[in-house]
Amino acid sequence: MTDTEVRVVPTRPTPGTPRPYDFPEVQRSRLANGLSLIVANLPGRPLVSASLVLRNGAGDEPDGDAGATVLAARALTEGTERYDAIALVEAAERLGAAIHSDAGWDAMSVGVEVPASRLEPALELLAEVALHPTFPESEVDRLRDERLNDLLQAEADPRRRADEAYAATIYSGGSPYRRPSGGTKETVERLDPALLRTAYQRGLDPARATVIVGGDLSGIDLPAITERLFGSWGAPFGAGPTGLIVAEGAVRDRFVRVLHRPGSVQTEIRIGHIGLPRRIPDFHALSVMGAILGGLFNSRLNTKLREEKGYTYGAGAGFDLRRGAGPFAARAAVNTEVTAPAILDILAELDRIRDAPVTDAELKAARDFLVGVFPLRFETPGPVVGALAGLVIHDLPDDELARYRPAIEAVTADAVQAAARDHIHPDATAIVLVGDADAFAADLEAANLGRLVIERDTGPQDEGRDEGVQEALGPVDEGSGGPTEDSREPEPAGSPEPARSQEPVADDDRTGDAPG
Amino acid sequence: MPIQPTVSFTDERLANGLRLIISVDRLAPVVAVNLWYNVGSKHEVKGKTGFAHLFEHVMFQGSRNVGKAEHMALVQAAGGTLNGSTWLDRTNYYETLPSHQAELALWLEADRMGTLLDALSQENLDNQREVVKNEKRWSYDNRPYGSWYEKLQGHLYPPEHPYHHTTIGSMEDLDAASVEDVSAFFRTWYPPNNAVLTVVGDVDPDAIRRWANQYFGGIPANPSIPKLGDLSLPPTLGEERRETVHDKVPLPRVYVGFRAPAFGDPRLDALDIAAQILAGGKGSRLHRRLVRDERTAQDVALVPLGFVGGASIVAGWATVRPGVSVEGVEAALHEELERLGREPITDDELARARALIETEELGGLSRVEERADRLSMYATLFDDPDLINRMLPRYLSVSVEQIRSVAAEVFRPDNRVVLTYLPELPPADTAAATEDDTSRVEASAESPEPAEDEEVAA
Repeated sequence: MTDTEVRVVPTRPTPGTPRPYDFPEVQRSRLANGLSLIVANLPGRPLVSASLVLRNGAGDEPDGDAGATVLAARALTEGTERYDAIALVEAAERLGAAIHSDAGWDAMSVGVEVPASRLEPALELLAEVALHPTFPESEVDRLRDERLNDLLQAEADPRRRADEAYAATIYSGGSPYRRPSGGTKETVERLDPALLRTAYQRGLDPARATVIVGGDLSGIDLPAITERLFGSWGAPFGAGPTGLIVAEGAVRDRFVRVLHRPGSVQTEIRIGHIGLPRRIPDFHALSVMGAILGGLFNSRLNTKLREEKGYTYGAGAGFDLRRGAGPFAARAAVNTEVTAPAILDILAELDRIRDAPVTDAELKAARDFLVGVFPLRFETPGPVVGALAGLVIHDLPDDELARYRPAIEAVTADAVQAAARDHIHPDATAIVLVGDADAFAADLEAANLGRLVIERDTGPQDEGRDEGVQEALGPVDEGSGGPTEDSREPEPAGSPEPARSQEPVADDDRTGDAPG
Repeated sequence: MPIQPTVSFTDERLANGLRLIISVDRLAPVVAVNLWYNVGSKHEVKGKTGFAHLFEHVMFQGSRNVGKAEHMALVQAAGGTLNGSTWLDRTNYYETLPSHQAELALWLEADRMGTLLDALSQENLDNQREVVKNEKRWSYDNRPYGSWYEKLQGHLYPPEHPYHHTTIGSMEDLDAASVEDVSAFFRTWYPPNNAVLTVVGDVDPDAIRRWANQYFGGIPANPSIPKLGDLSLPPTLGEERRETVHDKVPLPRVYVGFRAPAFGDPRLDALDIAAQILAGGKGSRLHRRLVRDERTAQDVALVPLGFVGGASIVAGWATVRPGVSVEGVEAALHEELERLGREPITDDELARARALIETEELGGLSRVEERADRLSMYATLFDDPDLINRMLPRYLSVSVEQIRSVAAEVFRPDNRVVLTYLPELPPADTAAATEDDTSRVEASAESPEPAEDEEVAA
């Protein structure tokens, strides 16, 4: 079928000389009350990103108040001492800005993106929201009801159901990560303004808070503005340093848990166990390993399940690194008939990444990707601010981002294999499925994957069934996404978008990412 | 004072008709390479729906000098990101890389534009057919409310119009696609004179020109690219169309859809602003009334979708809170939309919408990938890449009366489709329900619509 009249050049081009790149320089300072300020001046970037990060996340709240921190963050913009919710949103809109307040597992943040010329009035609104919220009862009631409705919606979405059931399966009862960061029906139902205020005040300590601003800031005196807006922020409300987060695994062997969803045309698969916190010595080796196993397009999982077998639109794996040990998961949505063979393929890849060193070509491709994509990621102020927030949240050294690329380049095949052996445990994995059990239960039995539990009951007592993840699956895009959580957009159910060629993996798995 | 980012660029054609747009930006050491082909799902013929998108997947399966999936491997190993997408009017392919890797992307794009068929095999086509079928399941069929967009598009465009079917197509048609179909589609729609190549970033324009000629110059044009027939449509639907769907959903949701002016028509600019005022965030009318004040809806949305062939779509929805009258929410939705056609918006509403659009434009144009995509888009659809610099002024010049006027034209009962999604009935009740509800059976079984996904390892 060769078109002989076509002339193309068979020789692959070689790269030119890379332009030197460094992560933007930042100025760090501190107000008298202890508030930290990090400023990244990025000439030519007139859309400024600013964020106040409070080190107080859903992982820090008591079990019984689960969801209070996330709801408190959302309620910050629902009324302050000077503005009601409508006056606040209108004032922000007149500046061309929207104030986002949100919380994830590790932190709460209030952020804004605004043209540099209107930064100061936008920061005034941000400070008002962060320091003087009133938690009006009527608005708190509404947000609580919306969260309860969102939990209902989550039950119908196979992806959210799988994610929630997976978390509830791999963590023990004492771990906050067992539940959604937004809380469960039982805990959310009892949330009120007082509980929200308590959750908010737990983090209200200037000495543990940081303002981060990035963009073209020429002529803008941020230390002076910050002093004016935050300088009178006094002593904390009895807040102390937050404690360690309990993250205990509950998986001791290999087993299958199926949430039966009759008529499902695909099975949502999650395979794995408890993972790791962000602060670990082998972070860079883990990142390279994650890219090879399930991060790159040509990762072992995606190559096998998608490009060889056609089982899925995309397969991947990764570690969600938090202050405590977040989950490790391999994931795919496969057509119902191939559920059992897809699971066997995933398990085989989890074994293989441990049993033999990766090839030189795999190692080079993964390292070159992570190193090369680093400057792409930080083209605009938002991601720069997000990465700096990550350093703050995880207590990482100031030079962590500058160190990232050389550290990735130094990762060896031995280090990758060691990371896989230390942190992936195919013999102690939960296999959690949401799909039509009637169509594949016999295949699962025959595959001998370990004990098999099929849950057909959809009653509220069924653990993991009535919980929700932090990302709202709402058509209105105004929910989640503080710098501490993954950057996945809320997924509008069937929001019309062009159909694309590539796969849906790489969402909340962070090991392929730059740090922070 | 409005901030208007100006994008400067050059615009030329190679001898074979490939349009080349170059825009230099040295702020970051990155480059975006972006190709738009003037072919989309509107070019598909009966029995071949979903083919343009399946074809796009095949474009990643190798060419004369590139192996299967090696396109992704080479770009990612160069530190780049990439993807492609298909939509009603067009198909695009794009890579963003460290700027010293620009030549690689040009070489890769040229190799598949020239020699895709050298690597075409039944095995690769079958593999990507399965992948695309799983994409359809993942994006539409296995999602709550997942069928709404296909239904809406089917109602808003008549069966003989090429926008009647969705980009993802049907399972049956995907099954019917053959290697011969791929060859014919490639030879017809993928010559250089049906494409726009845009390069934006930290590059030497002379080097880009040299490479473009070196790599793309030997690919012959197709002198006889077919022209689509007249796609014009009556501006309104002429009737209200309604459908009730019982689905695996806990909360009812009311979708509305309207025919709207075609993409490029200044009235669509006014409608964009109208949508911002109606449902753009927490300050908007619908959010305020239905979500905040009356608390009858869990969420609301209204989105214009611009298409060049005859009519665009403006689609919206409200998710109904438990125990609330679905009819009441629908009535309130219509009331707010129609009120916009009767009463002028306030100056403050217009000022707020303008400020938000300005920020949005500033954000969009700050990334080389987005800038390249918009240059390709305006060149492909309107032969006018400079629209990238004129859209913001166009938005900022929209008047209160233009918004009222377009709302009155579009938000009319005889121009709307209403889809009501209700929770599935318990088994005992289904017999009764089926009698007056013909859509029930297909509701959860089939539900395509354009898909969304994220790029790999991003």
